[in-house]
Amino acid sequence: MRNSLKVAKWEINRNMKNKSFIISLLSTPIIFLAFMFVPMLFNSFSADKNVNVYMHDELGVWDAVSEAVKNDEQLNWTLIQSQEDESIMLEGLPEMEQSVYIVLTEEGLAKGQMNMYMSDDMDKSFGNEVGILDELLRQVQIESIGLTDVQKATIAHRVVIVPVYAGETGAIESELKGTVLEAADPMKRIVPGVFAGIILFSIVMTGMMIFQSASQEKKEKVAEIILSSLTPTELMQGKIIGYFILGITQVFVWLVVAFPVVLWKFDFPIVEYLFVPETLLLLFIAFSGYLLFAAIFVGIGATVEDMTATSNFQGMVMMLPFLPLVFIGPILSDPSGMVAKVGSFIPITAPSILLFRLSVLEEWPWLEIIIALVILVVSIWIFMKLAGKIFKMGILMYGKNATPKEIWKWMWA
Amino acid sequence: MTNILTVKNLGKSFKSKRIIENISFEVRKGEIMAILGPNGAGKSTTIRNIMGIMYPDEGSIEFNGHPENTIPRQKIGYLPEERGLYKNVKVMDMILYLANLKDYPVKKARERALAYLAKFGLEGKDKVSVEELSKGMAQKVQFIASIIHEPDLLILDEPFSGLDPVSQETFKREIRELANNGTAILLSSHQMNVVEELCDRLFMIQRGKKVIYGTMEDVKNDYANFKCTIKGQNAPALLEMIPDVQRIEQNEDVTVLYLTQDVKIPTWIRQLPEELTIQELVIDRISLHEIFIDVATDQHQLQEGGVLNA
Repeated sequence: MRNSLKVAKWEINRNMKNKSFIISLLSTPIIFLAFMFVPMLFNSFSADKNVNVYMHDELGVWDAVSEAVKNDEQLNWTLIQSQEDESIMLEGLPEMEQSVYIVLTEEGLAKGQMNMYMSDDMDKSFGNEVGILDELLRQVQIESIGLTDVQKATIAHRVVIVPVYAGETGAIESELKGTVLEAADPMKRIVPGVFAGIILFSIVMTGMMIFQSASQEKKEKVAEIILSSLTPTELMQGKIIGYFILGITQVFVWLVVAFPVVLWKFDFPIVEYLFVPETLLLLFIAFSGYLLFAAIFVGIGATVEDMTATSNFQGMVMMLPFLPLVFIGPILSDPSGMVAKVGSFIPITAPSILLFRLSVLEEWPWLEIIIALVILVVSIWIFMKLAGKIFKMGILMYGKNATPKEIWKWMWA
Repeated sequence: MTNILTVKNLGKSFKSKRIIENISFEVRKGEIMAILGPNGAGKSTTIRNIMGIMYPDEGSIEFNGHPENTIPRQKIGYLPEERGLYKNVKVMDMILYLANLKDYPVKKARERALAYLAKFGLEGKDKVSVEELSKGMAQKVQFIASIIHEPDLLILDEPFSGLDPVSQETFKREIRELANNGTAILLSSHQMNVVEELCDRLFMIQRGKKVIYGTMEDVKNDYANFKCTIKGQNAPALLEMIPDVQRIEQNEDVTVLYLTQDVKIPTWIRQLPEELTIQELVIDRISLHEIFIDVATDQHQLQEGGVLNA
């Protein structure tokens, strides 16, 4: 183990002194933030533009609308009460800038349709902002038909359809409760899930560098010199540990940059969401995912000397971490469906699918989680053993890339 | 002299192919021992088994003062035939990493590295990236890395390949100095003149089996008989009259007479026929190079006259 740690330290130092690693380490969060802020900046440009909202009010809702607009910080309206006739307003509107004319009439209320006229420079999406009037107008509509208070309350109360499987009727109560309580704060699951997902993504990406590192060892013919001081297993372990720490360092740097920005910009209690027991399990899944892929990368990397002549087989191996993307559609539509369950039990797809499911599911399917984790841990053990065998043979084979047939033989040697 | 390394009855097969068989030899403190053989004879396999990079199927490897089949890696220096260095690191970092893997103190390793770099004409190159070094320079750095931790046993697989004559001389001097200071050295090389000059004993291997083993002097005495090269046009019948000749090779006007083992050269010269045309005459021993060719090409013509010290 001491020797493995020496190798790990070397790999960390070597990469930390490597300009391209440092550049990618620092540039990635900057690029992410740029992607996040540039659209926000454009939005804010358009949002900053004040809209003159002329309102012709026959329904007597002016005060309520003014109050609602005042309370909504997102709206940048200048509300102007218009006494003008509709035809006169329509004549002048094409000449105006950033202006809309909303006509609230009894007739419109009866027909269930109110017109909003916009100047040419207005964006169609402004229609969403006007949604603030919907509820007010509905109230006026209800008032106008002379119902009792009970009837009014009944109509105002929406009917919710709750999906429940036939075998789980007993869960209706909790589902209902869940929709009220949990749905109120889905971030409680999503934030730790996204956090673990970022860690998995980062360490697996860094883990791909193990492939290059093992291959480089062969190409630059250093392997035999190194192996005169330690065993192939120690070398392999050292690489896996080293790149794990590099991956974690990468996440740490990202977080150091991202945390203050998120806290400042979004006023989001991210720390509260993260420091929950669930995060530990999600992190365990992320780390397991890394170990699995690291074993694959280090083993296969030792079979490749010339990266440019890498066969389809090795290329396909590099694509393995992206396999869960194949299942993403069905899992998004039904996180508890058959595809999601099967994906959780396949070692290669399990880490990312589990992280995704556990982020969106309100009730965690503990039995499935335990079975999936047992499969994952056993698979890691088997993959590590096989990777060790491939690494041992592959790292000392000079002059050519190993064929899948050779790799297969080494695995069972 | 103390045996630093004892190899006994080593055997290794790949699938059904026997790579080495019944290989036994010792490397002693302060000596340079050559392991020779044609390509594919099993030298690198033997060395890799000694280094623990491969595991033998049979036999044992013993390092002085250590239990059988345990390899004190920190006491061995190794310069493999397939060698290289990480390209994008500094020379000093590379040497210190390898010293660290051998558990050698960093401070001492740095001092030694600087001294050796200066000795090999690489002064000031410690902060240079490995990829900026020429092939010869890189080879010197690899050599330094293999001895940085003051090993008891140094294994050098083709240390001279790719070196210019000046660098070869530097390496030879250094290897001899290391041996004089007590390091046991196992050296594999195809440059027979260098081996003849440098090594105290040799072990020759062919198709995984021992063919010659002994001190350089013994091998030369026992195996390498005298040969007489005569320049001049001479009839075969006349040459066949010369006594104590084991074999004659004639190529136009150059004749090589391979003499029997016990021949007394002054007496033999007096017996040469008067009629012999001699423009030039050279008497010397058969070189290690010729022995090597004889073994490697399976001619075994020299063996007929020589005695294998096997």
